Amino acid sequence: MKPVIEVKDLVKVYGKRRTAFTALKKINLEIMKGESVAIVGKSGSGKSTLMHLIALLDRPTEGTIKIDGIDSTKLGNRKLNQLRNSSFGFVFQQFFMNPQDSVLENVILPLKIAGKKRKERRELALKALKTVGLADRAKFKANDLSGGQKQRVCIARAIVNNPKILFADEPTGNLDSVTGEKVIKLLFDFNKKKGATLIIVTHDDDLAALCDRQIRISDGKMIEDSQEKAAEKKTKDEKIKSTKTRKSKSQVASTKSPKNAKTPTTSAKSHSVVAKSKVANSKTTKTKNAKGVA
Amino acid sequence: MHFFDTLKTANHNLFRNKVRTTLTILAIFVGSFTIILNAAINAGVNSFIDEQTASLGGEDYLMIMSEGSADLVASMMSSGGNGPTEYDPNKTISSMNEEQLDKIKNIDGIDADSIYIAKNIPIEYITSDKTDKKYTITVGAMPPGNFKIAATAGGLPNNDSDEYQIMLEPDYPQALGFSSDEDAIGKEVELVFLDLVTHEPIKFNAKVVGVQAQGVVAVNGSIINRSLEDAMYKAGTKNYPAEQSELVYTVQARFDIDRYTEKEIKQILQDNGFYAVGVSDMMGTIRTFFDAIMIVFMVFGGIALLAAAIGIVNTLFMSVEERTREIGLDKALGMSSGKVFLEFATEAILLGFWGSVFGVAVAFLIGTTANAAVHAPGGFLEVFPTFNLFEFGLFNILPIIVVVMLIAFIAGTLPAWKAAHKNPIDALRYE
Repeated sequence: MKPVIEVKDLVKVYGKRRTAFTALKKINLEIMKGESVAIVGKSGSGKSTLMHLIALLDRPTEGTIKIDGIDSTKLGNRKLNQLRNSSFGFVFQQFFMNPQDSVLENVILPLKIAGKKRKERRELALKALKTVGLADRAKFKANDLSGGQKQRVCIARAIVNNPKILFADEPTGNLDSVTGEKVIKLLFDFNKKKGATLIIVTHDDDLAALCDRQIRISDGKMIEDSQEKAAEKKTKDEKIKSTKTRKSKSQVASTKSPKNAKTPTTSAKSHSVVAKSKVANSKTTKTKNAKGVA
Repeated sequence: MHFFDTLKTANHNLFRNKVRTTLTILAIFVGSFTIILNAAINAGVNSFIDEQTASLGGEDYLMIMSEGSADLVASMMSSGGNGPTEYDPNKTISSMNEEQLDKIKNIDGIDADSIYIAKNIPIEYITSDKTDKKYTITVGAMPPGNFKIAATAGGLPNNDSDEYQIMLEPDYPQALGFSSDEDAIGKEVELVFLDLVTHEPIKFNAKVVGVQAQGVVAVNGSIINRSLEDAMYKAGTKNYPAEQSELVYTVQARFDIDRYTEKEIKQILQDNGFYAVGVSDMMGTIRTFFDAIMIVFMVFGGIALLAAAIGIVNTLFMSVEERTREIGLDKALGMSSGKVFLEFATEAILLGFWGSVFGVAVAFLIGTTANAAVHAPGGFLEVFPTFNLFEFGLFNILPIIVVVMLIAFIAGTLPAWKAAHKNPIDALRYE
């Protein structure tokens, strides 16, 4: 399978000379189509910077990012805008909605930017709202919705253009655990049903554990990649036992990752199981939240 | 993003902060209102001046006489005070001979076909069968060419008609016993003059075809058509010796206004031994004087607009700051910098548009109300029915709206540029 994202020797430096700060130090990464990847790390680790670069919201200081085999660093602004508009979906912690506009208007925004026809964009937006279960709220003012509903509208906005890659930056950061679960379910649903790549930036280990793969960033470096660990383990096993059956990389990642230990079976990909496991996780999330408040 | 969407979004965003937007529009309104009202007065006064100029024969009209007449005309026009002038046999009113007439015809810049020799007959009085009273009157035929006179009823007499026609001066119809200007149209009036030799009274009936509107410059009396003029002249001079009846003192003509100014053609005529009176001699410098006043008022309007433009810059800068996140989101979702710029520039242009449209609307209301008021009985323009103080037309409104929108756009470029160059990441992180 071809990687949908290839990151090579990625370096990002903020500021110049004496005030220069290296946020990312030579990151190398490949993400396959349909994979769900969690980028985890403490705040200030560089995980958001990495996501912003992969999402082509910012340009790297050094290194290349290939999207579907196309080197993004060689693309002009226009192509970059088009690529983001047509292939990416974004969900942010702070929602970023236009509070005075209607729910429908908010979902329509990417299609409006794309220059889609009035009728078509309305249909697509209503379909997306239906997917997140908010079709009856289409005429509401975005500001009148609850936090969870707002984030679901943002998911509708993110998936309205049927993106190849869905980026979620701390999608549950501003939500309580119950509404957070709904949001997560929607994200994974889109990931599984449409085969879209899902990239979640989070510092919540429970949420990260639901993903096929976890990448841990610290101090601008990738200190852990569950897939590589699995691959290493696999090569070790092969050397010792010389296994007969070969499994695809991603499968290996999901089954043998230690982070996935909590998921009861290898069929973690099916969303029903995800949902179940989330119920189990909700307790831990709650206790975590409580600690945070205290 | 389609342009219509940009326009709709911009207008929607504009009225999100209603108070601020309204105040900015108000500032633009004040500036454009001042300028539009000025332009309307300017148009009103100018068209009145044009009307007056046309009633004098138009800007290319000349009255040409022999050089000897010049001093006499000059002394009539000046207020005197220089004491008696010494007699000079070369400076008397003298008639023109055939040779001189041919000379005028051959002067470059004078339209030979337009040359017309007026045959004036002094009228004793005018009367009608509706009154016993008799009134003095001056009559004359129209000069050649495109001659216009504002009318309250009917129009100019037809020079090609055999019927004897007359266009009366203001107030004559009422004096002659007609109930109104309209009532006089089509009715007959009686003109009486004397045989130049025998002093026998001669009567001529003429049909009223129009009534002149009051103007600021005096039109040369009531206007008759050529057939009536010719008939009266023939009747009045029938006892004249043949050679004397053909005497010519003044010639009316038109000059090529595209090639010469009035001053230049007068100089040419003077070099050829003639003296000419043009429209500027009769109109004076009314127009120049008026234009100067208008320019001063326009400058005031311009200053108000400049202040409004700074208001636009301020409003949009605040808007850009407030909407930093929104701009960041738009850009993250793939909106190009150009479109962001366009959206804010469109907002600026819309500010200009609404401001100037309200300016036009209010100026129009005030102008038309004022027009009605000054022409009402007791109004200060009651006697000039054709003088519209404020004149509105697409030709003076549209350019002003466009210019105000252009100024607004220029004012909006700075904030729009700032918005367009916001980095989506910084914008989304902005608290």
